[in-house]
Amino acid sequence: MKMNGTDLKEEGSLIDRRPIITCAGEIEVFSVIEDNLTEALPQDTYEWRRTFGRPVRSVHIGGVFVPYSPAALSKSNSWDLIRQPLFHIYWTDCSDVELYKSSVKEDIENWLKELSSKEINDWLIVVVENFDGKRTNKLLPRTTVLDKIRADFAPKQGDRCVSVINPGKIESRSADSWRGLVNRVRHLLLAAYAKAVYRLEEHVRQQREKRNEHGWNFMHYFSLQEELAQVLEMLGLYDEALVQYDELDALFSQFVANGITSDSVSWLSNFQKPLERWHGLKLGSSKLPKDPSILELRAYLFAKQAHMLLLTNKVWEMASRSLPFLNTCSKELIILEVTAPPGAISCWLFLAAMEVLETCDKFNHADEVKEYSLHTAGVWEYASQKIRSLGELCGLMPGGFPTSEQLHIVVELSAGMGDNPGTSDSPSPTDKLKVALCSQEAFNKTYLELAELAMGTYKHIGRLRSARLVGRELASFYMLVGETQKAAAFLTDILRTFEQDGWHELAAQTQIELAECFLKAEDTRKYVCACAAVSAALEIDTLIRWTYFDDMCKCVNLLKEPLIVPFNDIFKITSVCIKNDGDIMQDSDINLELLIESNFPKEILCTKMAVSLETFPEPVKDNKKTQEKVWPSRLLTAKDMRAQDVMLQRLKMKKNLDFKQDRQLAAAGVASKFTELRRKSSTSQQVKEEVGECLEVVNLPLVITPGLNLIRLKKRATHIGKYFLGQTIMHVKNLHIVSPTLTPRLVFDVKEEHPTLKLYKKAAPLLTGIEQSMNLILTIGSYSIDPKSTVKLITSNGLSLHTEQDAPLQNSLEIEVGENYPFSSSRRSLRVLADALSKDHQVTIHVPWTPKPIVVMLSFTPPLTSSWKLFTVLMKKFIQINVIGQCNVDIIPRGVNLNVDKTCELVEKNCHSSQIISNGSTHSYIWELVIGAEMESVIKAEFSMVYRLHNQDGDNKLFQYFFDIADYQTLYILDTNVDPSKGSEFCKVGIVCHLHLTIENNSSSFSPVTEAIKSIMYEVLAEQSVWAVCGRTAGVVSFESQEKYQTVVLEVMPLTSGHLPLPLVRISKYIPAESGGADKSKKNDSHPRLEPFSPGQVYNKSKGKQLHVIANVSENAQ
Amino acid sequence: MAVCAAIIGKDNSPKFFVTINPDEELQFQYRVLSSLDIVEDKLNSGVKGGADTKELYLGMLLSLEAHKIYGYVTNTKIKFIIVVDSTNMVLRDNEIRSMFRKIHSEYADIVSNPFYIPGEPISSKNFTTNIKNIMTGTV
Repeated sequence: MKMNGTDLKEEGSLIDRRPIITCAGEIEVFSVIEDNLTEALPQDTYEWRRTFGRPVRSVHIGGVFVPYSPAALSKSNSWDLIRQPLFHIYWTDCSDVELYKSSVKEDIENWLKELSSKEINDWLIVVVENFDGKRTNKLLPRTTVLDKIRADFAPKQGDRCVSVINPGKIESRSADSWRGLVNRVRHLLLAAYAKAVYRLEEHVRQQREKRNEHGWNFMHYFSLQEELAQVLEMLGLYDEALVQYDELDALFSQFVANGITSDSVSWLSNFQKPLERWHGLKLGSSKLPKDPSILELRAYLFAKQAHMLLLTNKVWEMASRSLPFLNTCSKELIILEVTAPPGAISCWLFLAAMEVLETCDKFNHADEVKEYSLHTAGVWEYASQKIRSLGELCGLMPGGFPTSEQLHIVVELSAGMGDNPGTSDSPSPTDKLKVALCSQEAFNKTYLELAELAMGTYKHIGRLRSARLVGRELASFYMLVGETQKAAAFLTDILRTFEQDGWHELAAQTQIELAECFLKAEDTRKYVCACAAVSAALEIDTLIRWTYFDDMCKCVNLLKEPLIVPFNDIFKITSVCIKNDGDIMQDSDINLELLIESNFPKEILCTKMAVSLETFPEPVKDNKKTQEKVWPSRLLTAKDMRAQDVMLQRLKMKKNLDFKQDRQLAAAGVASKFTELRRKSSTSQQVKEEVGECLEVVNLPLVITPGLNLIRLKKRATHIGKYFLGQTIMHVKNLHIVSPTLTPRLVFDVKEEHPTLKLYKKAAPLLTGIEQSMNLILTIGSYSIDPKSTVKLITSNGLSLHTEQDAPLQNSLEIEVGENYPFSSSRRSLRVLADALSKDHQVTIHVPWTPKPIVVMLSFTPPLTSSWKLFTVLMKKFIQINVIGQCNVDIIPRGVNLNVDKTCELVEKNCHSSQIISNGSTHSYIWELVIGAEMESVIKAEFSMVYRLHNQDGDNKLFQYFFDIADYQTLYILDTNVDPSKGSEFCKVGIVCHLHLTIENNSSSFSPVTEAIKSIMYEVLAEQSVWAVCGRTAGVVSFESQEKYQTVVLEVMPLTSGHLPLPLVRISKYIPAESGGADKSKKNDSHPRLEPFSPGQVYNKSKGKQLHVIANVSENAQ
Repeated sequence: MAVCAAIIGKDNSPKFFVTINPDEELQFQYRVLSSLDIVEDKLNSGVKGGADTKELYLGMLLSLEAHKIYGYVTNTKIKFIIVVDSTNMVLRDNEIRSMFRKIHSEYADIVSNPFYIPGEPISSKNFTTNIKNIMTGTV
């Protein structure tokens, strides 16, 4: 029998907390199966049910077997059952009942008596059977040894007695019985163990309660609770074991934080001893040395915690705990006022950090890299900081040399680290640190490696800002090394990050660092840039800004080539305003007012100041994106130039109603289309130096003072087009400070005005036949025209003109433009003459500036207008001609004449006297037409008048008027008479009278003409307020054969008294419906038609006649 | 007592920064800036759109040798940062939480002020005094 338990304890790596099991009885029997059983027990899990409602956990339980000895039995009430035997097994292979009765039974009785005397109830009796395959007494109960034992010792606890078939013989049935034994042992053992653990927990709790009592010692308590942790660890409950260690950790921290002043924690003074060793933390199996220092205790505790975490595969949590652990340690060292040689603590912290990182690396699971990188990044940084502080302490930083004192420190530190050699392939952290502290070169290498790793890890997990801060450390290190290029690269990255995040003060600080870097690198150009940035940074102290500003001014003089610096924060454009009123005309000045805020701490002398002028691209259709935002006014303020905060914009709210299918409202709501989130252009606008057209400051040099400056710029607009303001450029010698293009676009047009040519007539209307003058006015626009170019005027037929006074009038004319200046105009007088008989004319003017000719419509009127009228007296005819003056100038007639070409005789009825026809006045001339028997039906007449204009001598002018006289013969003569009714003398009001209408047909005298007219329709057109026509008002009369007269009597009634005009009678030609039958093409042939007579064809004798109507007496009497 | 408090805008730029000891301001700025990485991590890894994202307190962001940095973020992604001396044992999580809540309410007040343009750095003296009082626990 090996009884291996005690051996393990000494191995030290893990204190064996397996329960101890004693074996009594026939030990030889057991020794055969001991190995099997020890191995089999922890192989499978078993459910562990616990008190206090703690969750059921599956645990692995093992055991250590020791020989039974009554002396080793524990006392019933002791707490440390764990270290005592707590389960007891009696082994026997007795198969003979008689033998059992004679010896074994007694042995068991004694064994049980001893156990029960110690109040131990955790026992088991195992009967090992060497199964022979034949059980003869199967039918007889209680005949085997097992049955006997059960009956004797455990009548009610049958499970405390088991039999097992010797597992040495491998058979299926023995395997079953073996499994039963193992399970039974597990079950009973765990039950016993659980009791013991409970006892231990209770004890731990009690001890903890006493922690504030005098004489309580943390280290004693520590080992106690650790025992519990070890038990849990043994059971495979690593997480619960971790809880125990965490409790210890917290308890200790609390003591350190609170208890330093208290007397009751005198044990703390043990941890206040000066530090002598700072051996590196070692994860994995570790041992707590006797009388540990605080660092050793902490290291041990952390190692345990880490161990538990690694056992549960929580590498990342270990990494995450490492930094707080390190911080706690250094904090507690301070609180406990532990003295240590300089650098010792840093050494320890560095070594611990490195150990954690190496362990992480060892447990590197590919899928967890990201998780623990989140935590290792910080540890890398921590390690790099620690080694740097050590480097500074030991004079290992670049540029320095270790003094003998510092060398001494190195020796002391190395000694305190102890020895912890790793392999040559993977040196331990201690080895590495020792090497690093030995030489500057090794130190540089180690530090840079760590810092780069820290930065790389930060970048890997996306913590750019943290990475940049490591970069800042690196930059300062590289500055010391003298590698300014590397330093500048890091600083530039840092600057970009700070600016992106808007941390201006940090950015400014970085600019200072950059400036120093460039100064060291003797890069004047970049130095100037950095100086400009620093001196314009309001966050920086003014004195510092002055220094850098002065430096900048000095260095600007050294610049050989132009250096372009963006505006950034140096200058701020507060407002831009185009001062021109109205349109900007070609060749006029564009005036711009620029309000600029300078952040330079002192005045600066500008050698050039300009705002570029860019041509506005023609908007491309179908491509909305390229359309630039155009500012609607000519004033841009700082507010307009700032990018609008989307979050501050008014939301566009929209009512949103949802209807069900039956058109009932299902839901109502408001919706807001999200304001378009535009990505900010991250790339700053390209600043280009070459600018073409510029608005410039005229008076140079220009002094720009700190704060606001009003600057006026000017430029002559030489070309027309659409422009916008581009960049603002400010030169201080070769330092060119350039702004980005102004947004939104401030757009303006430069326009031109074309020359115009106009033909004006004077106030009076244009008259035909008379030469008059007009004005030709040429107005030059915004540009002058070639003086040699010509204006060509072409007139329509009948119109002629010329500019020269004496030249003959022409139909076309060319005029040279002559010398001209923008916005001037010139007038030329034009003589115009239109033919007497023409009325409308046009002048086409071809101008040199546009191919499209200008057409001017001219309308002429004759100086006189005339009309004629025919008068009839029975058969006599008279022609009257009226002449009206139309022109401003009086017209003096020199003789008139009517010519009818001898068709008939004319008798002039005019008197000859001097006459003047003034504007608007009418003159009439009358001739009698002597009618003969044979006459033409149409007489062609020509009226002519010789006249001259009043204010002009000489020239008699002729006015002619042509007209035709037709239907002039008198065909019918009407005569009407009203007679009073019979018996009365007078016509009275209200009394019906007779209207006698006599129509005399005279047409027979002109036989050929009148044949067609046989029927005449008459109508009485009485004034309705005067006459009432009783009965018919109209009728048709026919002149058959050679009838001369027709008389019709009608009844009319006067309605008022007095001298009344007779009712008017009108006659018309009556054309019956049948008569049209021959000529179908005429319309309305189914109806009779009326056709009026011409005025000269009917003469009404009674036109002027009046009738005296007296009032009705009887009516008056009423 | 907190040693530094900061209000960081949605765009991660500082809107307000105060330290009890003005000489330390620059160092704290570096620290607070680096803690923004962790704020971003927490905001990104947090349950997106979950119903229970009412918790504005982010807990401890960074534990440094001498200081601890705590964070708090409003629903509009305004971050409040408090830096506490790590030797200070009096300030527990609950005190830090209530400090944040007070700062939040002060911030809500200043944002409601019609003379304050949201997104601009806060320069109100009154506000500074109030925040300092919250930091030193005199409120």
